[in-house]
Amino acid sequence: MNRDMLVIGGGIAGIQSSLDLAEMGFKVYLVERLPSIGGKMAQLDKTFPTNDCAI
Amino acid sequence: MLDVGRHPNIELMAYSEVEQVEGSAGCFKVRVRRKARYVDEAKCTGCGACREKCPTDVLDMYNEGHSTRKAIYSWFAQGIPSTHTIDPDHCRVLQGKKCGVCQKRCEAGAIDFEQKDKIVELDIGAIIVATGYTVFDPGKIPEYRYKDLPNVVTAVEFERFLSASGPTHGHIDRPSDILARREIAELEKEESRLQKTLARYEEKAGASSQSVFEAFAAETAPPEQQQWMEKYREYLPLTEKLAALRSKAEGFTTAKRLAFIQCVGSRDLRFYPFCSGFCCMHSIKEAIIAHEHENATTSVIFGMDIRAVGKGFDEYKVRGGNKSNITYRRSRVAEIVNGPNNNPVLVYEDTQLQKVVREDFDLVILATACAPNEGMKEMAAILGIELNRFGFFKTRPENPLDTTREGIFVCGCAHSPMDIPESVAQASSAASRAVQTVTVTPAKLLKIS
Amino acid sequence: MKQNKTGENTEGLRVGVFICDCGSNIAGHLDCAEVTKYAADLPGVVFTKENLYTCSEAGISEIQNAIRENNLNRVVVASCSPRTHHPLFASSCAQAGMNPYLFEMVNIRDQCSWVHMGQRDIATAKAKDLVRMGVAKSTALEPQKDIESSVIRKILVIGGGIAGLSAAEALAGMGLEVLLVEKEERCGGLMLGLNVLETGKSAAGQVSDLAATVAATSGVTVHTASRVIEISGYIGNFRVVIETPAGKVEDTVGCIVVACGAVPLVEEGLFGYNGKDVITQMELEQRLASGSFKAARVVMIQCAGARNATREYCSRICCATAVKNAMIIKRKYPLAEVHVLYRDMQMYGDEKEQMLWDARGMGIKFHVFDQKKPPRVGDGKVTFQHAVLGETKEFTVDLTVLSTPLVARPESSQVAALMRVPCDKNGFFLEAHAKLRPLDFAADGIFVCGSARYPVTSVEARTQGLGVASRIGAILFKEKLVKSGIVAEIDQETCVGCMGCLNVCPYEAIIFNRETGVCEVKEILCKGCGNCASTCPSHSAVLRGYKPEQLLAQIRAI
Ligand SMILES: Cc1cc2nc3c(=O)[nH]c(=O)nc-3n(C[C@H](O)[C@H](O)[C@H](O)COP(=O)(O)OP(=O)(O)OC[C@H]3O[C@@H](n4cnc5c(N)ncnc54)[C@H](O)[C@@H]3O)c2cc1C
Ligand SMILES: Cc1cc2nc3c(=O)[nH]c(=O)nc-3n(C[C@H](O)[C@H](O)[C@H](O)COP(=O)(O)OP(=O)(O)OC[C@H]3O[C@@H](n4cnc5c(N)ncnc54)[C@H](O)[C@@H]3O)c2cc1C
Ligand code: SF4
Ligand code: SF4
Ligand code: SF4
Ligand code: SF4
Ligand code: SF4
Repeated sequence: MNRDMLVIGGGIAGIQSSLDLAEMGFKVYLVERLPSIGGKMAQLDKTFPTNDCAI
Repeated sequence: MLDVGRHPNIELMAYSEVEQVEGSAGCFKVRVRRKARYVDEAKCTGCGACREKCPTDVLDMYNEGHSTRKAIYSWFAQGIPSTHTIDPDHCRVLQGKKCGVCQKRCEAGAIDFEQKDKIVELDIGAIIVATGYTVFDPGKIPEYRYKDLPNVVTAVEFERFLSASGPTHGHIDRPSDILARREIAELEKEESRLQKTLARYEEKAGASSQSVFEAFAAETAPPEQQQWMEKYREYLPLTEKLAALRSKAEGFTTAKRLAFIQCVGSRDLRFYPFCSGFCCMHSIKEAIIAHEHENATTSVIFGMDIRAVGKGFDEYKVRGGNKSNITYRRSRVAEIVNGPNNNPVLVYEDTQLQKVVREDFDLVILATACAPNEGMKEMAAILGIELNRFGFFKTRPENPLDTTREGIFVCGCAHSPMDIPESVAQASSAASRAVQTVTVTPAKLLKIS
Repeated sequence: MKQNKTGENTEGLRVGVFICDCGSNIAGHLDCAEVTKYAADLPGVVFTKENLYTCSEAGISEIQNAIRENNLNRVVVASCSPRTHHPLFASSCAQAGMNPYLFEMVNIRDQCSWVHMGQRDIATAKAKDLVRMGVAKSTALEPQKDIESSVIRKILVIGGGIAGLSAAEALAGMGLEVLLVEKEERCGGLMLGLNVLETGKSAAGQVSDLAATVAATSGVTVHTASRVIEISGYIGNFRVVIETPAGKVEDTVGCIVVACGAVPLVEEGLFGYNGKDVITQMELEQRLASGSFKAARVVMIQCAGARNATREYCSRICCATAVKNAMIIKRKYPLAEVHVLYRDMQMYGDEKEQMLWDARGMGIKFHVFDQKKPPRVGDGKVTFQHAVLGETKEFTVDLTVLSTPLVARPESSQVAALMRVPCDKNGFFLEAHAKLRPLDFAADGIFVCGSARYPVTSVEARTQGLGVASRIGAILFKEKLVKSGIVAEIDQETCVGCMGCLNVCPYEAIIFNRETGVCEVKEILCKGCGNCASTCPSHSAVLRGYKPEQLLAQIRAI
């Protein structure tokens, strides 16, 4: 059984999945189509409901 | 985000795509294409020296095309990884022309025009699909005249306008004004070019262009002065046009009367029947932030329902109404037309008075739908999973993260439209499903034997 | 013997200083070469180097080589923000064999080159000052050890609804042990009392199946008709006492999950509520399930007791519940008249909005009213003003169904008190961060899921239950907990036991030892905020790495 993980998409969902898996001790490959991760959230100024900055 | 770049257990493969998935849960074989950046990831420090002198401007899609970037670029300033990338469609060298400026500027020696795509094979236990969504293109709704009227923008464009790192540095300038200013700048360039030419003639002849022009006003100038006068004839209307534009530009102010139109492409049987879940909230948010920037800002949000269902959301909505000059108007806007001063005019029905109302605004923001990505079918085919009737990856309510193929899970907006808190919670759940897939428990051993 | 300016002994000290250009971010605005030269003459400094990027692979290996080749026992990097880069440099030093707590970082970018752009001389002089202070502090630093503690790979789950059961299922599926405590005779929670879900499947059936699977899973112990009565300890090692029908059970667990759900509001007199012809959605579910539903004209009133001055929140699920039940009625009795009076139909997302389309297609009528003019119920009639059309409408009804919100369970404040975790003003448990940490409490090792946090559908409750398993795996899959050695210590000799520190510690990391009469720091809980150190009147509480003598060394060098 392979234990390595693949996460496709580096938006907030992919980032959180990757961090959780990595913190649990699994090797994670995070594949993102664009030059940098962040997804839509990286384009947002501030985000509801806390209105703190997106990144 | 920084944590992802630094975590020893995470190997970041940005600018890459999954091409093939074979095998089954616990033993997938995955092929990933690492696209050529033409910059060596191991050497590039992200300093940005290369891009300063790159001569090629390209529309910056991170800013939704409202600014430009260079042919060598980072997706955004704090992007991770910070490795720069050369855009092969625009870079002069990669288009077969001469340049190589970036290569000279890069002290790290990271530029590599010969770089090729690399194929990587991975042995994987479980897969999480978090490919998100695309924003609906409101150009498909002719009555809203997006791109046709300059002061009708999407919510994402407006986010960029609100951002200090955005194209307007956080000022809510109206796109029509930005266009006018851009035109002024272009004309000024032309003006100074002409002025220089005229000055040369004037120096040679020792007379002002105007006096020569007036002297020959009625008849044609002598041949040696004809070219001069032609230039002057070009110059005159240009200065007039510039003066007119400049005086108009003096009257430019930031947008203060905002209208938000909800459900653009959502809850609409012509496009997407579903509700995108987060757009009511982001309109409220944008109106609140715009009001923070400038206290005189007022906003009207046109929608059927205002959907604010997360923790603290309804309170946020009410607070927006009380403290940030937001009016919620229950109405569907029939069309947008152009008014004087490039003000978009909304045409809608006041249902109580049963009368058609026309109301003009400085800027209209379209709350566009959370649409399935383009290429979802291809992605689904690569992964060997199914889509649901709305075009997102299919799951079942009893096992909300599991796709139709064992060992492959989905979270975030690739699953269905949802906001950040929901995406974060789902992401953790998908991670736990993935771990369960590769964990050998006594129950599983029993099943096998 | 070498002495520094303040006369302290610098013998044996071997400080290496690295000055970063940060491309042009620093070097563009101040003279890094000069700062480097200046640093070389500071007391204790035996090695200096200017790097284009100290944080690059090349920069890091230069630090590591310098440590090895020059026997450095202090490293100072003058560059950017410690917030982002301190961990990288400190761990790189550790890899080269130096105690990471002997690393010191100086920020000559954010607070120097960036703020004094165009004033090269001023910026250079200030950078020298900052570097001198950093070197002085580094010389006063002491080696520290990371703090480690063991973890128990067992989890207490409080509440056996779909959220708690899903958490237990996932945790067991990840190979961890689970102790599930349910106060009722049976696990299942609210879903046991529902009719069918929107999929048409039995709610009780689904949750009972899950309860049976969980109960049969090895590694899971279920205590029904039981309650947790005591919790002490901290992340990795909580001691819990459970009252079961068979007597008290004591155990230790590494993490805790709060999944004690919520209940639908029942309020006498609300829109004439009487439990007979004015009932709640929950009662309607039960009538539909038992077959005792009888009515030809039904009106449902949304937001009954919600989104008002007393209960400001939207309960998220009651709109979908109303549409579901309206469709069930209409499907069974096509001639029945069903009206839904609402303020906003919260049919968010894909499937729910589709239900709304389908419901309209079936002839269910939706009418919007304004909060300021709520419907009136009485004498078999419901009267209201239509907010869009402006006209007043009246329906004759057999049954009025109130869509009341889920409210916090009355006992949830006791559960919160057991662990000293906070609740919001509506009585729901308060997570660490509404957006980025929805399933965590601010307190380490404690998590929340399901309606205990905020009303959710059963699908969302299950999702969150599965989600906490990951959050917990991130703690309990590690061999041991390791945390920074930068924690407070209290001098047991000089502490007067005033408890000033105890009161200002935001993390409950200080306890008063009744036997010795002085305060003690629970290192594993301390987050190194320094509150206690700045409060202590007898200067007994100090923060390691920021002890008075270390800060003084830095200040004296100004
Ligand atoms: C204008 C606007 C404002 C918003 N404001 C807020 C707010 O304030 N608060 C809030 O909670 N939510 C807000 N949202 C919603 C928020 O954007 C989403 O909830 C969130 O971004 C979803 O994250 P995701 O990771 O699922 O998707 P995405 O952010 O779309 O990320 C998906 C990632 O996957 C990558 N990808 C796609 N396809 C592939 C592929 N084939 N291979 C590899 N990678 C791929 C993409 O490049 C992208 O990086 C807003 C949305 C909009 C449009
Ligand atoms: C009328 C109505 C209709 C609904 N219809 C649907 C529907 O069609 N589809 C859908 O998806 N959702 C529906 N829901 C929502 C669904 O019921 C909830 O999402 C689900 O019950 C939430 O699960 P939970 O585990 O978070 O909480 P609960 O179901 O409330 O479970 C909590 C459990 O914790 C136990 N507990 C509480 N305190 C303690 C304590 N101190 N110690 C030990 N145990 C404790 C309780 O006894 C209970 O068993 C409906 C809800 C209502 C009210
Ligand atoms: S070679 Fe290409 S990327 Fe480099 S500077 Fe020239 S155009 Fe820009
Ligand atoms: S390619 Fe070279 S110049 Fe460009 S950012 Fe990377 S290291 Fe700097
Ligand atoms: S969230 Fe609001 S704007 Fe977006 S689709 Fe739903 S109802 Fe329309
Ligand atoms: S879900 Fe619907 S009925 Fe329930 S509080 Fe929200 S708006 Fe009101
Ligand atoms: S440093 Fe802060 S967290 Fe640590 S014991 Fe003192 S007050 Fe508590």
